[in-house]
Amino acid sequence: MIAAADSPSSASSSPWHFFGYFMDHRSEDLGWLWTHAWLSVVPVIVGLLIALPLGWLSRRYGWLYPPMMSITGLLYTIPSIALFVLVPPLLGLSSLDPLQVPIALTVYSVALLVRVVADGLASVPDEVNQAATAIGYTRARRLFTVELPVAVPVIAAGLRVATVSNVSMVAIAGTIGLSNLGQLFQIGKDLSTPTAYYPPIVLGIVLCVLLALVLDSVILLLTRLATPWRRAVAAR
Amino acid sequence: MAKGGGGAMIGQVFSWLTDPAHWRDTALDTGITTQLLAHVRFSLIALGIASAIALPLGLFIGHTRRGTFLVAGANALRALPSVGLLVLLTVMIAPHFHGRTDIGYVIPTEIVLVLLAIPPILSNTYAGVDTVDPAVTDAARGMGMRGRQVLFDVELPCSLPLILSGLRSATLQVIATATIASFVPLGGLGRFIYDGLQQQDYPQMIGGGVLVAALAVTADLLLALLQRVTVSRGISGRFATKGDAPAGPIEGAITRVEVEAG
Amino acid sequence: MKHKILAGAAAAALALTLTACGGSSSDSSSGGTIASSFIFGGPAEFKTRTDGIPGLAEHYGVSFGKYTVTDTGGPVTVNALKQGQIDAADLFTTDPSIESNGFVILTDPKANFAAQNVLPIINKDKATDGVKTTLNAISAKLDTAGLGALMVKVVSEKQDPDAVAKAWLADQGLDATGSSASGVKLTVGSANFPENVLLAQIYAEALKAQGADIKLKLNIGSREKYVPALKDGSVDLMPEYNGSILQYLDAKATATEPQDVFDALQKALPSNLIVLDQAEAQDSDAIVVTKETAEKYGLKSIADLAKKK
Repeated sequence: MIAAADSPSSASSSPWHFFGYFMDHRSEDLGWLWTHAWLSVVPVIVGLLIALPLGWLSRRYGWLYPPMMSITGLLYTIPSIALFVLVPPLLGLSSLDPLQVPIALTVYSVALLVRVVADGLASVPDEVNQAATAIGYTRARRLFTVELPVAVPVIAAGLRVATVSNVSMVAIAGTIGLSNLGQLFQIGKDLSTPTAYYPPIVLGIVLCVLLALVLDSVILLLTRLATPWRRAVAAR
Repeated sequence: MAKGGGGAMIGQVFSWLTDPAHWRDTALDTGITTQLLAHVRFSLIALGIASAIALPLGLFIGHTRRGTFLVAGANALRALPSVGLLVLLTVMIAPHFHGRTDIGYVIPTEIVLVLLAIPPILSNTYAGVDTVDPAVTDAARGMGMRGRQVLFDVELPCSLPLILSGLRSATLQVIATATIASFVPLGGLGRFIYDGLQQQDYPQMIGGGVLVAALAVTADLLLALLQRVTVSRGISGRFATKGDAPAGPIEGAITRVEVEAG
Repeated sequence: MKHKILAGAAAAALALTLTACGGSSSDSSSGGTIASSFIFGGPAEFKTRTDGIPGLAEHYGVSFGKYTVTDTGGPVTVNALKQGQIDAADLFTTDPSIESNGFVILTDPKANFAAQNVLPIINKDKATDGVKTTLNAISAKLDTAGLGALMVKVVSEKQDPDAVAKAWLADQGLDATGSSASGVKLTVGSANFPENVLLAQIYAEALKAQGADIKLKLNIGSREKYVPALKDGSVDLMPEYNGSILQYLDAKATATEPQDVFDALQKALPSNLIVLDQAEAQDSDAIVVTKETAEKYGLKSIADLAKKK
């Protein structure tokens, strides 16, 4: 036990020591990674569920499209840290409510995805819709079995952007005292005296990038599974 | 500590923002005016540098179709957590500066802001030039235009809407991220957010949030105006009789979507 | 029309940039005291805290020329002081950087800063006799010099807080295994700064050795986050500083001596929480200057800052 404290490995400040740092603080780091992943993914899913009907409405009723795009555009303009601190008073939550970050990130996801869903539905060729109507599909059945599946690639591209930028925004929430990978940056900063202490900072960057890559690949994979006809077309 | 009602808090934020004392500098506090100007200054410097790098590069890649991997590479930069990069560069650079200067914090901040601003400008410029209808450039060549003329007289004006929307999304990113420079710590509007949080002065914290959001919206409107006056009507399809709605600020983001998906 | 708007926009941007670059420092304060020519660096809340800037003005008539927000006794403040971006700073007495940089702590004869003895704050239901004995034994051995030495290991040598905690317990003969706390389930939390994490690890390791079932929630954040967690039972045990927690619970508290603070704290605590014995170890705020500054102006006590230059 004492030997561990004296071993030089626990004192190295080299940027390349981040893996050793990770091994020394595994349970803590994995906990943050888990919260971080959760905070990055759930708002996108909730955002998609809200954006689907809104996007459909602005596609279905053309007059809704311009105001819908202006409102979501405006929301997307607000910087994340500002939105984090604005959410509690606007919704009457306590100033440090754990929901403030997920709610703020959901707002961004909705703002981005409404347009994506509307444009995705618009990307469905007219002939496809006419063919579905001609063989007797109701409007609802056509939406769920034809239009949405055909729009998947466009929507998935939007989901990728939303998820990857969420990973970075969650880390920003770490700087206002919320527990996620952003805490590693706080720790690295606190211990950077008298000289820079790189391992936790580099570890935080590495884990954030890995998380973004993994989530991005998962969405790519799911898209591929959800659109088998694309491969069929490609193979032809 | 946490004041319950949202309505009461909104009133307190309003009175914080409208108190003239908060706009002036005192021995203890740096006022809103100074921090706002500092925020604008950091953002303009970063956007200037990023444009100087990304615009010519994007035009070159789009025109020659060479080096497209650079666009993909720049897009991969987006996965980097900006706050982590900021802390990393700060602990690396700040200790090397002595005396009454905050340059040791300005340099890392500007590096991060420039890195953030390059991808949207670069990929939109590239995509803008790349997607100019080949028939148009062929026609230009047919009229006897040289490569440089084609680029500056045809491809550039035609891709201006996309380039400007790239600049708009870069501007939003930069203004938002300049806020977290206060974490390292540097001046700017983020000061009010971080200081308010620490002082448990929530009207100050939320007032800071309102100011950043207002700055971002104002900058976006100015750029939308710029887009309106500079883009040729032949391209925007907006003629004197028909007022078309300007493109929303997230157009840049969507263009990225398409670029990445494509 | 088009050109007019463009020119206007360009002129506005230019004007903005010029003002931004030009309008930096204009020293308006003319007190003529040493402090009035100083830039002070510290955390944002030090500007408004009772024992911060208001306290320094009340007790010593000291007011600084300018205040720069740095961080809470962290590397930013230390670097700024070392490199001359600020002239005086608010640091914590256990900070090893004070000694390693040859900084001078100005004495506080009028006790502006309250006592800051380390003590465990714990959920009443979890404070069994075994737990109390274990934690009290730690407090009995923990003094300021000892805590300072541990901070050197954690902050300067970047050793793992958990390993440092175990080594210290072994040194003090507090690592004996037993069963006096067995059957107790405890969540030990800490604030998000290195010393507090270390203290939480010391509590956790000692209780673990006595058979307690320990869960750690380190780096929770500031008091605004963890005191509610203590109240609602999601955290059971935290290392605290008697002066700060008293100030947090009762902003009007005036006690400054260790025992007075401890007594006042008993009354201010929420009903489900108690504090155990306090350690001799203190980690309080201190006004710190560099050795050169201290020599140049002949500074020994905070009161010297109010002298005429």
